[in-house]
Amino acid sequence: MSAAETLARKSWVLLHVGNRRFALPAESVMELAPPVRLHNFPHTSRFIAGVIVRRGRIVPVYDVAPVLCGRESSVHRFYLIADRAFGPGHDAGEASAIPVNGECELATGEMQPPQENAPPYFAGTLAIENENIDVLDLQKLVTSAGRIDPGATNHAEPRP
Amino acid sequence: MKIAAQDATKARRSRSTEAVILFCIGTQTFAIAADAVQEIRSTDSLATAAVEMELAEVPKVRHLVERSHRTYYVVSGCAHFGLRATRPTLVLILRQIRTAVLVDSIERMAEIPVVHALPQAFQGAERHWYRGLTYLEDRVIPVIKPDGFLTPQEFARLDRAAKSIEARHELEGAVPA
Repeated sequence: MSAAETLARKSWVLLHVGNRRFALPAESVMELAPPVRLHNFPHTSRFIAGVIVRRGRIVPVYDVAPVLCGRESSVHRFYLIADRAFGPGHDAGEASAIPVNGECELATGEMQPPQENAPPYFAGTLAIENENIDVLDLQKLVTSAGRIDPGATNHAEPRP
Repeated sequence: MKIAAQDATKARRSRSTEAVILFCIGTQTFAIAADAVQEIRSTDSLATAAVEMELAEVPKVRHLVERSHRTYYVVSGCAHFGLRATRPTLVLILRQIRTAVLVDSIERMAEIPVVHALPQAFQGAERHWYRGLTYLEDRVIPVIKPDGFLTPQEFARLDRAAKSIEARHELEGAVPA
């Protein structure tokens, strides 16, 4: 197996958002957090649902369900925490959380190129158990989801 | 010697925490450094001293007040943070910054051990509003940046408007009724 093949055939974390399964590179995933309290405060960054506190760190929560599934999902109780790159060279990372339903599993597979006309936040696909699972590019996903709407302020009340 | 040692302990303790005032606008709690606030007054006590002003470019400011020969612009906390309108009862008059902020209530004073940087995920106006976030008694509370209520451009516009209000009042005073 070549180095490129080894790179492509790596471990993935499969996660559920809404009724769909997606994959993230396992090395970017930090932990699956239990249903902790979501804290909120006024801000203007769209698709940020609030923050959670994990291991003494304040972690932003991206509500990506509307982007990935076209609607909000009420079944999300857990948080998948992954590293999101920041900075010009993507050299600085920040823990970022995505609400998931808790059914996450580890899989190994070879990533194929994304389907034609796939949105830019799909880095590719995985063929696992007769299912084509889109691999998320977290950076592009939250960038497309997190475009700022200067007129909008998040009025959400803190949720238990 | 004993006293000096006690002072040193006290100094170490005070360096590791920061005194903040927790205040509420609507259902939201915010923190502001206690030493950034010069005075807390009721809106009723300032009502007679407040001068109405309306500037389309800065709609969150509807009044100015003169305090110790300085003009303070009164910012609606609701309008600033985009919260639902409430009936504020208190005014926080800030120190060193010519801003007074309308708030609903003071929750209490608190000592916070650390101000966490606002996560980089937040890229909107909140980067100007908050110094960071603090975690206090199972709550994440934004810590206000006192100079984030009004930009230098907004101050310049308000100063121009205040001058024209002053000139109008002088003219009205000079013209016999």
